[in-house]
Amino acid sequence: MLTKKQNLMETMKGGNPDRFVNQYEFMDIILEAPMDLPLAPGPGTRIKNKWGITFDWPADQLGSFPMHDEEHKALKDITNWKESVKAPSVFYTDEEWAAAEAHAKSVDRNDKFVTAFCAPGIFEMTHHLMSMEDALMALYEEPEAMKELIDYVVEYELAYAAEVVKHIQPDALFHHDDWGSQRSSFISPAMFDEFILPAYKKVYGFWKANGVELIVHHSDSYAANLVPEMIEMGIDIWQGAMTTNNVPELIKQYGGKITFMGDIDSGRVDFPGWTREKIYEDTKKACEECGKLYFIPCLSQGLNISSFPGVYEATSEIIDQLSKEIF
Amino acid sequence: MSKIEEVKAKVEAGKSKLVPGLVQEALDAGIAPGEILQAMVDSMGVVGEKFSSGEIFVPEMLIAAKAMSKGVEVLKPLLAGDGATSLGTCVIGTVAGDLHDIGKNLVSMMIESAGFDVVDLGVDVPAETFVQTIKDHDNVKLVACSGLLTSTMPAMREAVAAIKASGLDVKVIVGGAPVTPEYATEIGADGFAPDAGTAAVKAKELVA
Repeated sequence: MLTKKQNLMETMKGGNPDRFVNQYEFMDIILEAPMDLPLAPGPGTRIKNKWGITFDWPADQLGSFPMHDEEHKALKDITNWKESVKAPSVFYTDEEWAAAEAHAKSVDRNDKFVTAFCAPGIFEMTHHLMSMEDALMALYEEPEAMKELIDYVVEYELAYAAEVVKHIQPDALFHHDDWGSQRSSFISPAMFDEFILPAYKKVYGFWKANGVELIVHHSDSYAANLVPEMIEMGIDIWQGAMTTNNVPELIKQYGGKITFMGDIDSGRVDFPGWTREKIYEDTKKACEECGKLYFIPCLSQGLNISSFPGVYEATSEIIDQLSKEIF
Repeated sequence: MSKIEEVKAKVEAGKSKLVPGLVQEALDAGIAPGEILQAMVDSMGVVGEKFSSGEIFVPEMLIAAKAMSKGVEVLKPLLAGDGATSLGTCVIGTVAGDLHDIGKNLVSMMIESAGFDVVDLGVDVPAETFVQTIKDHDNVKLVACSGLLTSTMPAMREAVAAIKASGLDVKVIVGGAPVTPEYATEIGADGFAPDAGTAAVKAKELVA
């Protein structure tokens, strides 16, 4: 039986995998790495992070939201962004790095990729700071200021990347940035080419120049119109590819240049009262329609978790079952 | 290009700095305020179609709506008290348990651009708040319920049921990523729209 890493490489290269890659199994994500995550810690909490963005996680919600009322919006006027936006330090103490370093050392790199994690992402940072409506309008109304802001976020990501490389020598990167809704990208490909593509070419180029073999980008959305850009910026795997993208068609068109990880929409199977039958139905459809190559069946949600207990694990079991049925 | 066509073109292109001046020029040329307003509404209809078809994206829709709102500011004093220009009031909100607002905000913007007065209740709106808001406002013709989470679809069902049970004479339109036309029918909604552009078209159909 191929190792997890070997099986992944066969899947990505169009070779001879012996089973479906099972969701995130090939990545050992070093979540202990210190970073200023864009989340409130848990339900019922509210925090202001080091970027000055306030996140609120109401007790009955699945996650946290940045607050953009007048009191809490971090960046009110893009033309004055330099006065409002201050990136946190990327330097942490040896003690703060210790757990991440220990985790990375414990990973069998023949079997799995030691994987760095980065969030929320360059595009998402702009609307966390100023709200989605303000950020999208500013791309038209103040393009130069937006480019400056994006460059500033890029510099932060590059500085953070250097620290991560120094401490845990990752083989892979799992990077979050949502680029669309379920049905459409947020911005046109032309606008993406102008503002976002150059930023990510720099960032992903840096990681790859510093030991990272695999870039896994998370966007649980529609983004089929941005796949050429994903390839150009160096993404190896697009995680979160929802069914709205017509993933089988994308595989036909781009397989060999990029691998698609998803096609099991979390919203359809991950909710209170979830059933194994529904997960099996959606997973079987995904596996049969997408095939054995350039495809990793996976819930669209980011990270190896689900919103409701048991769904991620049940999905993994079903993928193993389908490997036996289909391979 | 006529003055009206210039206004239409610049609203569609999102030229918010040019539209007020062009609207004033159209007024100076003797074109009625209502006609200019309708021209801008028509422009937003084109914007909505282009958004629904994937030809344009959210930023283009936002700047077009902003351009129209700048034009409307010039017309407002001339239209004040002219109830004939409004299609009625639309109450909109994201249903209880759901905090997502971007899609709801886009729908709100497009419905307002289509000629409705909009009362936006925000997010996490209980069913009884929808009902009370209808009672508290004049000329409410339409209620729009938005939801993004599969887990809050029961709250959408409850909201629609409460509005219908109230006996108030309003139509209900629903939408959001997990909402389907079949689900809209099942819960008793009068209409469904998959996106903001279609929502404005459907809203006008429902109150016609």
